[in-house]
Amino acid sequence: MAAEDLPSEFDVVILGTGLTESVAAAAFSRVGQRVLHVDRRSYYAGNWASFTFSGLLTWIQQHHEEPLPEEAQDWSSLLEEGEELIHLSHSDCASIRNLQVFCFTSEEDEEEEAPNTTEEETGGAAEDSECADSTEEETKETGEEEEEVREEEEVREEEQTTPSAALRQSEPTKKKISYAQLLKEGRRFNIDLVSKLMYSRGSLVDLLIKSNVSRYAEFKNVTRILTYRDRQVEQVPCSRADVFASRQLSVVEKRKLMRFLTSCVEETEEQRAYNGRPYLEFLRDRQLGDNLQHFLLHSIAMVTEDTPTEEGLASTRHFLRCLGRYGNTPFLFPVYGLGEIPQCFCRMCAVFGGIYCLRHSVDGVVVDRDSNRCKAVIDSRGQRITCSHFVVEEGYVAADRKRVATPTRFLSRAVLITDGSILPSDSDQQVSMVTVPPIAAGCPAVKMVELCSSTMTCMPGTYLVHLTCQSVGSAYEDLSPVVTRMFRTPESHDQETCPSVLWCLYFNMTDGSGLEAEGHNLPSNVYVCSGPDGDLGHELAIRQAESIFQKILPEEDFCPPAPNPEDIIYDGDNTSSSAGGEEEKEENDGVAEEEKQEEEKEMLEEEKEMLEEEKEMLEEEKEMLEEEKEVLEEQNLQTEE
Amino acid sequence: MSMEDYDYLFKIVLIGNAGVGKTCLVRRFTQGLFPPGQGATIGVDFMIKTVEIKGEKVKLQIWDTAGQERFRSITQSYYRSANALILTYDITCEDSFRCLPEWLREIEQYANNQVVTILVGNKIDLAEKREVLRQRAEDFAEAQSMLYLETSAKESDNVEKLFLDLACELIREAKQNKLDNNDTAPMPGEGKTISYLSCCSLN
Ligand SMILES: Cc1cc2nc3c(=O)[nH]c(=O)nc-3n(C[C@H](O)[C@H](O)[C@H](O)COP(=O)(O)OP(=O)(O)OC[C@H]3O[C@@H](n4cnc5c(N)ncnc54)[C@H](O)[C@@H]3O)c2cc1C
Ligand SMILES: Nc1nc2c(ncn2[C@@H]2O[C@H](COP(=O)(O)OP(=O)(O)O)[C@@H](O)[C@H]2O)c(=O)[nH]1
Ligand SMILES: [Mg+2]
Repeated sequence: MAAEDLPSEFDVVILGTGLTESVAAAAFSRVGQRVLHVDRRSYYAGNWASFTFSGLLTWIQQHHEEPLPEEAQDWSSLLEEGEELIHLSHSDCASIRNLQVFCFTSEEDEEEEAPNTTEEETGGAAEDSECADSTEEETKETGEEEEEVREEEEVREEEQTTPSAALRQSEPTKKKISYAQLLKEGRRFNIDLVSKLMYSRGSLVDLLIKSNVSRYAEFKNVTRILTYRDRQVEQVPCSRADVFASRQLSVVEKRKLMRFLTSCVEETEEQRAYNGRPYLEFLRDRQLGDNLQHFLLHSIAMVTEDTPTEEGLASTRHFLRCLGRYGNTPFLFPVYGLGEIPQCFCRMCAVFGGIYCLRHSVDGVVVDRDSNRCKAVIDSRGQRITCSHFVVEEGYVAADRKRVATPTRFLSRAVLITDGSILPSDSDQQVSMVTVPPIAAGCPAVKMVELCSSTMTCMPGTYLVHLTCQSVGSAYEDLSPVVTRMFRTPESHDQETCPSVLWCLYFNMTDGSGLEAEGHNLPSNVYVCSGPDGDLGHELAIRQAESIFQKILPEEDFCPPAPNPEDIIYDGDNTSSSAGGEEEKEENDGVAEEEKQEEEKEMLEEEKEMLEEEKEMLEEEKEMLEEEKEVLEEQNLQTEE
Repeated sequence: MSMEDYDYLFKIVLIGNAGVGKTCLVRRFTQGLFPPGQGATIGVDFMIKTVEIKGEKVKLQIWDTAGQERFRSITQSYYRSANALILTYDITCEDSFRCLPEWLREIEQYANNQVVTILVGNKIDLAEKREVLRQRAEDFAEAQSMLYLETSAKESDNVEKLFLDLACELIREAKQNKLDNNDTAPMPGEGKTISYLSCCSLN
């Protein structure tokens, strides 16, 4: 398509298509603002994007290349008296670093050979030795790692003759999926750069529902919460039904857990007494025992040992509030990956007239010297575009405009393609949230999400595993110890039952929560969106988009519902969405009222059920005690005799 | 919501260069009119038309690009759950025909494997300005195993036929799939898909 010119006047120009920018774009366009939304990249969502396998390899390659020296174009001819230009950054590589790629599966399909014991017992050894560690895009560091890997491999091969392996002879050899197959089926992968989940009562879900943007996507429930403890993966009981069915918990523990959860719904004096003190201490003093303490701290509150009590309780309440809305866990995940979400908001913006242009950037911001306000932007083709407001992703802001007061923090990320679930169950289609407490003092707590193929993020027969933590060292340093323990890689030992890692990627990404939104030396009508943060939910991005919107349009509604196309009445050429928005609202209120009553009824019924179950438990206990009493009495009798 | 009053629901998605007449095709079919000037209506996401085919009610949900094709910036999610794609070019514009392979690449990347694709040459009322010969387009469509049809949104030529043919094809495929998948029971424990998140819990 020939380079068609853009219109030269907008209300809001937005650069970057990450979640925050896209939500803001939808919000502005929805209330009638003229929006131009551009992104320098050829894909949507920036650091929030998801990629097919080959798309990800391209992304990796791009981030290995030395960024071209920034050569600022001279646009002075486009400036008028009293104006100056703030140049924006051209390279977006700054936010990603320490990329390392490993491939632990064979390059090509192997010939099907007659099963051979030696090969079987070492599992992937034969494949490993010819493994294409690190694809072409290998860094220096990767090279070093590779050597280490090789050394360990040799050691293992020497140990092979131990007879214990013979026990496994009868196991059928599952043929490992080769690198060639991953490439061939590459479009079945949708690999997110960011790993988050949607709290079913979080602000993202609320916004998707409120705005009707939810019609552009589909979601799946996270089906279970797992935790890693004493070198084992365990399922965390979540719903009331889970708790009752749990075989890990004793009857007494079940009762304690129920009591505890019921009691923390409301804030009490007792809880307030612990304000400022660690949640762990609060939990300890409830005498819950190690099991429950672990579940409550790491898997339900998902906080660390020194998180203050009030924060721990708030997280616990949030978790409880989110349970049961759509399923057995508090989380949803979008089919095709999180990268869909920003795109859905972009579609909403476009439907309301927003103009979209990928592979197109803004070179500079034209500032009026007297008022210190942005008057226009100059795009990468040298077109001057007038605008009243400019919203920009942090990554485009040149270093000289950042106040260095807040040191940049990083997230450590790993993405694994594996050949099995870390906790196999009846169904091979589980979506699991896994909490991994620090494996040693000083190590970060790791959040892990395991996705199955029905989420449309990986090919059948594989699982896509995302690991995230606050970085202490490089992503490899932070996360490979966890990977090595929980999965089978050439570096791991005695982990024949763990799923194998076929391919993996490590990288660090700037932590958006470390970037003060106001920490920039920019005109007041330029708004900076920080990139993804390390939280599990999406609160930061949504809050930021809403706050930018409210600064510009304090009177307007943020993302009001888009009309349902089925309700739009076509009247000649004058299309109107069902005349009275009022009427619709009244109707909705009626429905909401009914729903509320329905919900309340359900809640009461649930509570009744709960009480009944508790009664049963108590009766059981009573029986047990009675039995015990009888035994004791008998003993008494005997001694008396 | 009212009782679902149809036997089938299909999502049909239009793609192709800007200006080839996609929006006009949709509006001609759903509203029976040919809008003057730019046809897009602000705030309209998709259009609905229910048709009857051999006694069965088929609800067609027809999605337009929202103008994102203008600068080659269609979101992937636009293609995701489409049952059928209408790939449109303008017979009076060679360039719109030459871009077809690019569109096919997008389809291959993002659309469902089973998607039904139909190639449409629009604006046949402008026969004297034709730049793409019918035979050439037919050959191209055949090579890519697509259906092919020429239309005029302006004169309402073949527009009804386009959507009805698609609906027939989609019903045929749906019946075939049902036969093929008869014995695959749903996976136990498989996270259920929640589309159209709504304010009440969906159980
Ligand atoms: C281990 C565990 C055990 C749970 N046990 C129960 C239970 O026995 N009964 C229950 O109703 N919900 C229980 N929940 C929470 C429950 O699954 C959901 O919170 C519930 O579906 C409420 O959803 P809501 O967000 O719509 O309502 P909310 O507004 O969060 O609460 C609705 C009602 O449920 C009560 N409630 C909420 N959480 C609990 C809780 N943990 N224990 C007891 N009452 C609670 C509230 O007091 C209120 O009356 C448990 C959660 C966990 C993690
Ligand atoms: N002559 C003629 N013009 C058409 C036809 N269909 C669309 N147009 C014109 O082509 C232009 C672009 O149409 P539009 O539907 O907006 O194209 P879109 O960008 O693909 O959605 C408009 O000026 C229409 O009036 C047709 O069948 N015949
Ligand atoms: Mg159009």
